[in-house]
Amino acid sequence: MLTLQQSQRRIYAWLDERLPVRAVIEFMSRKTVPRHKHSFWYFFGGLTLFFFCVQIITGILLALYYKPTPELAHESVRKIITEVPHGWLIRSIHSWSANLMVASLFIHMFSVFLMRAYRKPRELLWVSGVLLMFLVFGFCFTGYLLPWDTTAYFATLIGTEVPRTLPIIGDWGVSLLKGEEEVGAETLSRMFMIHVTILPLIALLVICFHLLLSQLLGSSVPSGAAERKPATPFFPNFALRDSIAWTIGALVLFILAVMKPWELGPVADPYASAPAGIKPEWYFLPLYQSLRMAPATLLGVSGELIVNLLAVVLSAAWFLVPFFAAKANAQRGSRLFTVFGICLILYLCVTIILAYTT
Amino acid sequence: MEHREQRSNRRDFLSKLLGAWSLLVVAPVAKVILEYITPRTLSETRRETVRVASIEDLALNTARIFKVGKDPVIIVHTASGQYKAFNARCTHLGCVVQYTTEDGPPHFGCNCHGSQFDTNGKNIVGPASRPLVPYKVIVRESSILVVKT
Repeated sequence: MLTLQQSQRRIYAWLDERLPVRAVIEFMSRKTVPRHKHSFWYFFGGLTLFFFCVQIITGILLALYYKPTPELAHESVRKIITEVPHGWLIRSIHSWSANLMVASLFIHMFSVFLMRAYRKPRELLWVSGVLLMFLVFGFCFTGYLLPWDTTAYFATLIGTEVPRTLPIIGDWGVSLLKGEEEVGAETLSRMFMIHVTILPLIALLVICFHLLLSQLLGSSVPSGAAERKPATPFFPNFALRDSIAWTIGALVLFILAVMKPWELGPVADPYASAPAGIKPEWYFLPLYQSLRMAPATLLGVSGELIVNLLAVVLSAAWFLVPFFAAKANAQRGSRLFTVFGICLILYLCVTIILAYTT
Repeated sequence: MEHREQRSNRRDFLSKLLGAWSLLVVAPVAKVILEYITPRTLSETRRETVRVASIEDLALNTARIFKVGKDPVIIVHTASGQYKAFNARCTHLGCVVQYTTEDGPPHFGCNCHGSQFDTNGKNIVGPASRPLVPYKVIVRESSILVVKT
C-alpha cells in the first residue's frame, strides 16, 4: 500500500518524465519581484487577470440561459435576473467585473507607461498588453448589446456607425459589424458570437503570451528608482500579497454587485426616439464626448472623420510607444513622454466628467 | 560539394513551391470566408407611395414616428399647418431623433450627441454635418402618404 507521499512522488516523477515540471518549479522558486517605492502598482496586472477570470466564469453561467435573438434576448435576461436562482447576482457580478477589469487595466497600463516598464527587452510585453486592452474594449462593446434594452440598442447603433467615416474600410467594416443595414437580429447574433467565441479565443492566446513574457522577463524597475535588497520572492511572499489584492478586489466586486445590482432597461424599440440623457459606459465616454464636441466640419472635413482618424492614429502610436521611447530605452528619463502620459490621463478624466455633467 | 548545392537548390525550390501551394489553398478559402461574412447589400427600396397615418393621428405642432420599409420616418404637422416627413435617423450616427417644441423654436433633436435640425430638416446645431433625409408628403382625403424622394 502506497503512502500519500509515495503516490505524490510517483505522480511527480511520471509527469517530470513527460513535461519540464522540475525546470518550471525551479524557475518559479527562484523568481523574485523587485522592491522599490513604486512596487505597489505591480498588483494591478494580477487584479486585471482576476477580473478577467470572473468574467469567464460568470459569462459561461449566463450563456446557459441567454438566447441571442431580438425576440428572446431581453426576455431571457429578464428571466435570468428574476427567475433563475442567483441569476441577478451572476449578471450583476459579470457587469460590474467588466467595469472593474477596465478600471484595473487602465491603472495597470498607465502605471506601466509612467514607470517606463516597456523599455527594452519588454517591448512585446507592452504591445501584447495594448492588444489586450483593445480586446477588452471589444468584449465590452460586443457584450453591451446582448441584453437588447434601449441603452444597449442605441449604444450599439452609434458604436457600429462610428467607423463608417474611415476611408476605404469604413462602409465595409460597418456592414461586417452589423450584418445587415440596421442593428437587428444579424447584429445581435454576430455580437454574441464575437463575444463568446472569437474574442475569448484570441484573448486567451494573448494573455498566455503576455504572462509567459512577464514570467520570463520579470518585473521592470523604474529608471531612477532605488531598488531595495533583497528582492521579494515570488513564492510565497508576492503570491500571498497578490492573493490579498485579489481578495480585496473580490470584496469590492461583491459589494457593488449586491448593493447596486446591474439594471435591465426597457426592451429596445428601433423605431422609438433615443431616450434623453443616453450615454455609453464610462470607458467609452472620452470618444463619445470627443464626437459630441467636434464641429460638424473643420476646413471642409467632417468633424467625425477628424475624431475617428485621431483615435486611429493615437491607438497606433500607443502600440508603438516602446519603439519611440529611445530615451527611456537608454535608461534616462523622458520628460516629454511623462507629460504626454499625464495629458492623456487628464484628457480622459476631463471628457468623462464633461460627458456626465453637460 | 556540388551535390550538396544541388540539394540545397532543390530544397529552396520545394519550399517556394510549398509556399505558393499554401497561398493557392489559403486565398480561395479566405475569399469564401470574406464573402460569407460580408452581408449582401440590398437594392434600394423601390420608390413607392406608402400610407402611414390619417390626419387625425397628428394634431397641430406634433410629430410621430412611423415605420416605412425598414426606416423610421418622422412626420410633423407644423404650427403653420404643413405636413413634413423625414427619415428619423440622425445623419450623425444614426440615432432616432425626436420633435420638440421646447427650448426655442420647434426642431428635431437627437439625444445621443445633441444634434438639432430645423423643421425643414436642416442641421443647425451639433456634430451632424448633413440635413435629415426628406420624404415627400401627400395628403389625400384624410390619409397621409409618404414617398421616398
